[in-house]
This record gives sequence, C-alpha cells and structure tokens, in this order.
Amino acid sequence: MQNTTEVLSVSDITNLIKLTLEENFEQVSILGEISNFKNHVSGHWYFTLKDGGAQISCTMWKGLNNYVFFTPQDGMKIIVTGRITVYPPRGNYQFDVRSMKPAGEGELQAAFERLKRKLDEEGLFDEQYKKEIPSLPKKIGIATAIAGAALKDMISVAKRRFPMLELVIAPCQVQGEGAAKEIANSIKELNKHDDIDVIIVGRGGGSMEDLWSFNEEIVARAIFASKIPIISAVGHEIDFTISDFVADLRAPTPSAAMEIATPDINDYVAVINNFLDSATDSIEYIIDNSRQRVFNAIGSYGFKNSKNLIDIRKQYLDNIIYKMLNGMDKKISGTKQKISLLASSIENHNVNRTLRRGFALVKQDGKFVHNAKNYDYNKETSIKFYDNEILIEKK
Amino acid sequence: MKSKTTNSFEKNIEKLEKISNLLESEDIGLEEAIQYYEEGIELSQTCLKTLNEAELKVTELKKKLEETDSKIK
Repeated sequence: MQNTTEVLSVSDITNLIKLTLEENFEQVSILGEISNFKNHVSGHWYFTLKDGGAQISCTMWKGLNNYVFFTPQDGMKIIVTGRITVYPPRGNYQFDVRSMKPAGEGELQAAFERLKRKLDEEGLFDEQYKKEIPSLPKKIGIATAIAGAALKDMISVAKRRFPMLELVIAPCQVQGEGAAKEIANSIKELNKHDDIDVIIVGRGGGSMEDLWSFNEEIVARAIFASKIPIISAVGHEIDFTISDFVADLRAPTPSAAMEIATPDINDYVAVINNFLDSATDSIEYIIDNSRQRVFNAIGSYGFKNSKNLIDIRKQYLDNIIYKMLNGMDKKISGTKQKISLLASSIENHNVNRTLRRGFALVKQDGKFVHNAKNYDYNKETSIKFYDNEILIEKK
Repeated sequence: MKSKTTNSFEKNIEKLEKISNLLESEDIGLEEAIQYYEEGIELSQTCLKTLNEAELKVTELKKKLEETDSKIK
C-alpha cells in the first residue's frame, strides 16, 4: 500500500476501500437527522442522515425495519446502528441500518407534533367530519389486541350495560413492529360490515413507545376514511394520540369507550316500568272519567224527567184515543140506527105498494117462502096481505 | 337475526312512548284508549323479555390482513 509506484485497477482500489471501510465500521452507531425518507414499495427504507456539516446515505431492509415501532419522518433525530458498506459498481458507500431508535423522548414528541400539525392543516380533525355516535347500537366493532386486558374490560362493560349487543372483533397488534398497519387494516376490515354501528379502536395503558402506533399516519388515515363512527380509546386519561384527534370521539380508556357506546339496559327497564305505571294510571283515569260521564248523564234532570215526560204524554195520548173511540162509537151507532130506520121504512114502503096491487107474502116458520118448491103443506102458513095477515092452520 | 331483534326493540320502545303520550292526551276515546293500553302492555312485556333474555354475542373476524399485505407488494 505504501508503494507509490504500484498501479492499481479501479476495481482493486475499490475493493481495498470496501475492505477497509467494512472491516473498520462493522458495528457503529450514528446520531443524525432524517431527510429524504422514502418507504419504497419493496418495503425497504431509503433516507439520508445528516447534521450541520455532513450527510450519509442510509438503507434499512424490509425484514429489519419491521422491528422499528415508529415510522421515521423527515426532521426526526434518530440513532441508527449498523455498518458501512461499499457498492463497487457505483463506487459509493452507504450505511446499512440494522436498528433505529429516536434520539430521545423529545424526538417522538416532536414527530407527534409534526404529524398533528400536518393532519390538522389537511382538515382531518375538522368538526364537520365528526360522525355522531349512535345511541342504541346493535353491533359494535372493536379493533384491538385479542389477548389484551382492554378487550376483556370492554366485553365485561358491554355485558353489564347492554347485553343485547354483538361485538365484532378485528384483532390486531397494538404495539411494536407492524402494529400501525394492522390497526389500519382492522379498521378497513370492520368497514366491510355495514351493519356495524360504531367502532372502538384502542388499547390499554403503556409507555409513549407502546402507544406509538396510534400516532402513526396510516392509522390516522384509516380512521378518517372509516364510514362507521369511531371512538378512539388509547391508554389512560392522560394519554393523547393522533387517533384521538382524528376519531369521531375520544374516550379516556377502552372501558370508558364501551360505556359511551352502550346505553344502560337499566334505563330501558326503567322506561318500560315507567310506561306500565303511567299507562295504567292514564287508562284508569280515562275509565273513571267515562264512568263519571255516564253517571252524570243518568243523574241529569233531563234523563230523570224523561220517564215522567213519557208518562204524561202516554196519558195524553190515551185520553185522545179514548175520546176518539168514544166519539166514533157514538157516531157509528147513531148512523147505524138512522140507516136501519131508513132501510126498514124504504122496504116497508116498497112491499106495501106491491101488496096493495094484490100480491101477498107467504111465510112459514117466520120466513118468506120464495118459491113453490119450498112450500110445505104440513106446516102452518101465514099469508100477509096489504091490510092484514092471516094464519092458515096446518092440516 | 340479532340486529333485527334490536331493531324491533328500538321500534317497540318508540311505540311505547307514543302510546304513553296518546293515553295522556285529553281527547282520546275510551275504546281507542283501551286498545292502545292493551297494545302497550303487550309491547312492554315483549321488551322486558328481550332485555331479560339478552346475551352478549362476541364474534371474531378472521385475520386476512397478512395476505392482503403481501398481495399489494
């Protein structure tokens, strides 16, 4: 190497550089600020790490970046651990990142603030996009860890408050590598069920690092895109995440989220019992009222008097009928008499005139004998002439 | 099926409230009132039965997430 006369090929020198660099920087940690971060479709990460005076190209392969709990952002200060590699065809060197962590808690906080500002400017937190949480849900979707305490708590709250429910659980990791993507997918998966009334997204308490998935952009976007209202319930009362801001409602804890999402069954029992009481009172009142009205009607002067009125009228009617009948009778009998008098005088008049002309009337048994055939020689016969009547003794 | 039960439960509760208001209104006829009352009693029994017999149902969605992921890449 010290030999200045020795001529090396490009490949030779490059390989010497490669050997030197890779041997001497096999395991180093670098502190720097991320810029030009690219999450390639292949799953590999490409970015530049820089400080005030220098920069270095970095790559992090898919299998390794799975273990990073946060998504790197431009401007974030991180500490990367890995090695220097040289790529001879291009003659450049880069840093092959094996692990990555934020340079401090402040870095996560700063990343949080950056994403929050960005999404806020985009309008993802706007009040106009907040959907109403239904008051009487029939299906509640839950995106959380299947084995977590948060799920157990939520189930017990649902059982106690409103067991008429169906809970649909879309299990997902809620911390560590790939968790953010799983949470987002669970939300998308639940959105395929259009009979779900509300979704609770969350997990129990933990460190800022544990809760970090809920500060990831991919989760925020999935919550914003959800057609179903979402309640965000991450950690404890004091923990605020990006999810909380995007969600339609923030609950301090998963249990509290379930309390908010469910009506109390006892309220309904009270409503029904109240109905039974008030309806029974009402119907009794209505019946009493109707009864009173009937009594009032019966007791009224008009009703009491009506019998009397009828009686008076009946009597009056009877009277008229009596008078009428009486009058008629008299009239009829008078007329009858007149008629019979008249008739007999007419008859007498006619018969006498005939008899005067020499005719006679033959009577047997007090009846006129009209023809010879009816004449009985053995009977007593009277013959009436115009002036007198003679009797012929029977033989 | 479950959702239908809850649905009709909601409707029944609404109907109960309506009947309650009707019964409290001044100008309802006796026969009509009795008819509503009977309907209300029946509805409330149905609702109470639904509430008393309710049992939380928990279902778990199958995890197809990984597959979806790998298809994208």
